[in-house]
Amino acid sequence: MADTVVELEGLKVKLGRREILRGISCRLGVSGVGKAFGLLGPNGAGKSTLILTLLGFHKPLAGRISVLGFDCRTRLNEVRAHVGYMPETDSFIANLSAVSFLRLMGELSGLPGKIALEKAHEALFHVGLGEARYRELSTYSLGMKQMAKLAQAIIHGPELLILDEPTNGLDPSARRRMLRLITEMKEKQGMNVLLCSHLLRDVEQVCDEVVIMKDGMIVHKCNLEEERRSNKCFVELEVSGNDAGLRGALPAIGAEGVSEGNGRWRIVLPPSVQLQTLWELLGAQNLLVRKLTHRRDTLEEIFLKAMGHIAHTPGESAHTSVQPV
Amino acid sequence: MAVYKRGYQRYQGPIAGRWTRFMVLPRFAWKRLFQQRLIILLMVVAFIWPLLCAIFIYISNNSDLLKGFGPQFRDFIAVNGRFFLVFMNAQAFFAVFLGAMSGPGLIAPDVANNALLLYFSRPISRADYSLARLTTLFGMLSLITWVPGLLLFAMQAGMAEDPWLTEHWKIAPAIVAGFAVWILLVSMVALAGSAYARLRVVAGGIVLGFFFILSGASVMINGVFRSDWGWLLNPAWSTQTLWRALLGLDPQPGPGVAACALSLAIMILFLAFVLERKLRPVEVVS
Repeated sequence: MADTVVELEGLKVKLGRREILRGISCRLGVSGVGKAFGLLGPNGAGKSTLILTLLGFHKPLAGRISVLGFDCRTRLNEVRAHVGYMPETDSFIANLSAVSFLRLMGELSGLPGKIALEKAHEALFHVGLGEARYRELSTYSLGMKQMAKLAQAIIHGPELLILDEPTNGLDPSARRRMLRLITEMKEKQGMNVLLCSHLLRDVEQVCDEVVIMKDGMIVHKCNLEEERRSNKCFVELEVSGNDAGLRGALPAIGAEGVSEGNGRWRIVLPPSVQLQTLWELLGAQNLLVRKLTHRRDTLEEIFLKAMGHIAHTPGESAHTSVQPV
Repeated sequence: MAVYKRGYQRYQGPIAGRWTRFMVLPRFAWKRLFQQRLIILLMVVAFIWPLLCAIFIYISNNSDLLKGFGPQFRDFIAVNGRFFLVFMNAQAFFAVFLGAMSGPGLIAPDVANNALLLYFSRPISRADYSLARLTTLFGMLSLITWVPGLLLFAMQAGMAEDPWLTEHWKIAPAIVAGFAVWILLVSMVALAGSAYARLRVVAGGIVLGFFFILSGASVMINGVFRSDWGWLLNPAWSTQTLWRALLGLDPQPGPGVAACALSLAIMILFLAFVLERKLRPVEVVS
C-alpha cells in the first residue's frame, strides 16, 4: 500500500516558551506519485519550523508526524534516508570542490563510493554546474550555491524533496531554471516536492497542492490543479460612477464579484465569458473604467483570503469563512 | 555514455550500512588533513623521538657496544617503565600540538558555514558526527602515540633476553590505555574548542590555552593555598599520575590516582557537554 508523503496529526511544537505549531493536522500526497506541495505563509507562520520538525531537528511537544510512512520520532534515520533537503541558508562545506562535496553528501546518504562519484557528476551537470564542478564551493556565486544545494539534495534520489526558499537570490533566468528543474523532479523522476516559499508565483508555477499557514496553524489547503482546470479569469476592476447595480448585473453574464469599496471590484469570469462581455456590461451600467487587470492565477486570491485580507474569494459562497483545516 | 549526455537518473540501488556511512566522515577528513603540509611536517617531527628511542633500545640491547660500561650505567639505560614514561611524555607533547592544528578544522568550518544542517538532514545523528570527528583525531594521534609505543615495546621484547617480556608485559596495555586517555582528552578539547570558537585560529589557541593556562593556574592555586590539590586542575599532571600507576612506577607527590582519574573524567564530561550544546543544526532563540 502506498504511504502518505507527509502526515501530521495534532502536531504541536514549542521552541523555548513559545508554541510555534499549534496542533496542526494534515495529509499530503501519496508516495511514488510525483506531486509538488507548496507551503505558504507570512514570516513567523511556522513553515520552517514544520520543515525542521519533519527532519527531526525539533522534537514535537504533542501529536504525530510521519514522512513516507516513517514516524519522525522513532524512525528518523529512515526518514532522513528518503528525504532530500535544500536549506534556505547558505550551507556548504569549506575547501571542497563541488564534486567532492556532492560525493561526500552522497556517501553519507548511503551511496557506495563509486556510484556517489558518478551521481555527483550527473547531478552537477543536471543543475547546470557541469563546467564549474571542480571549483571550490566558496568561490561560487549565490545562484551557483543555490544550484549546488539543489544538487546535494537530489544526489541520493530521494522520494521527498524539501526545498526551503529555493529561488532566493536568483536572477530571473536562474529562477526559471530552478523552477524548471523542480518541475522535472516531480514529473520525470517521480519525486514528491515540498516547496516552502513566500513567492506565490513560484508556488503556483510548480505546485499541485498548497497549504497555507498562519500563526502556527494550517488555515487553508487547496488543490491548485483543480483550480487551474476550472480556468477561471480573475479581474481586478476600478470604476467611477454609481456601481450599486453592478453586483446584481454580474450574474446575468455568468460572472460573480465582490466590491472592496471606492469603486474597486474583484470579479471572477468563467471560461465561457469573454472580457469583452464585461466591458459591454460596464458600458451599459454607465461606469467609467479607471483600471482593469485580469489574470488566470488564483493563488493570490486564496492566500489573501487565508490571511484574512479579503472576506472571501469571488466565485465561492460569501458565507464561507476561513476555518483552520 | 558520457555523464553530461546521460542526464540525471534517480538512484534506487542498495544503501550502505550504518558503519560504512559512519566511516565516510573520518575518511574524507583524513584525506583533507593529510593534504596540509604543516600537519605532515609536524607528524614527521613527531616521529624523530620514537626513532631516537628505537636507536636507544638497539644500543641498550647490544652487549658488544656496552662493553666497558659498569652495571650502574647498564641499569641507568635499562628499558623499563621509566623509559616508556619518558617516551610517552614526549609524544604527548606532540599530540597536543597536532591536536591543536588538526582538530579545529574538523568542526569550526562546518559550524561557520551552516554545514551541520546538511549533515544532520542525512541519516547521521549528532552522536555519529561527534564520534566520527573523534575517530578522525583518534586515528591521527594514534599514529604518533601508542602505535610507535607498541612498536618500540615489540622491538624491545624481541631484542631483550628472556625474562624481560614476562616481567614487563604490563607496559604494553599501559601504553595503549595511557595514550587512549590522553588522546581522548586532547581530542575532546580540540573538538569542543572547534565547535565553540567557529574560527580555526581561535580554536587552535583554545587547545593550547587549555593545557598551558590550566597548568599555570594549578601551580598558582598550589602556591596560594599551600596545598597539592591544585594539581587536579592540570590535565597533564593528572595524566602523568595515571600513567605512572599504569606503568607500575612510584607515584609523584600529590593527589592519588583515583582523584586524578576523577578530575580527568570531569574535564572530559565538561567538554562533551560543551560539544553537545554547540553542535546543533539550528539555533533556537527563546
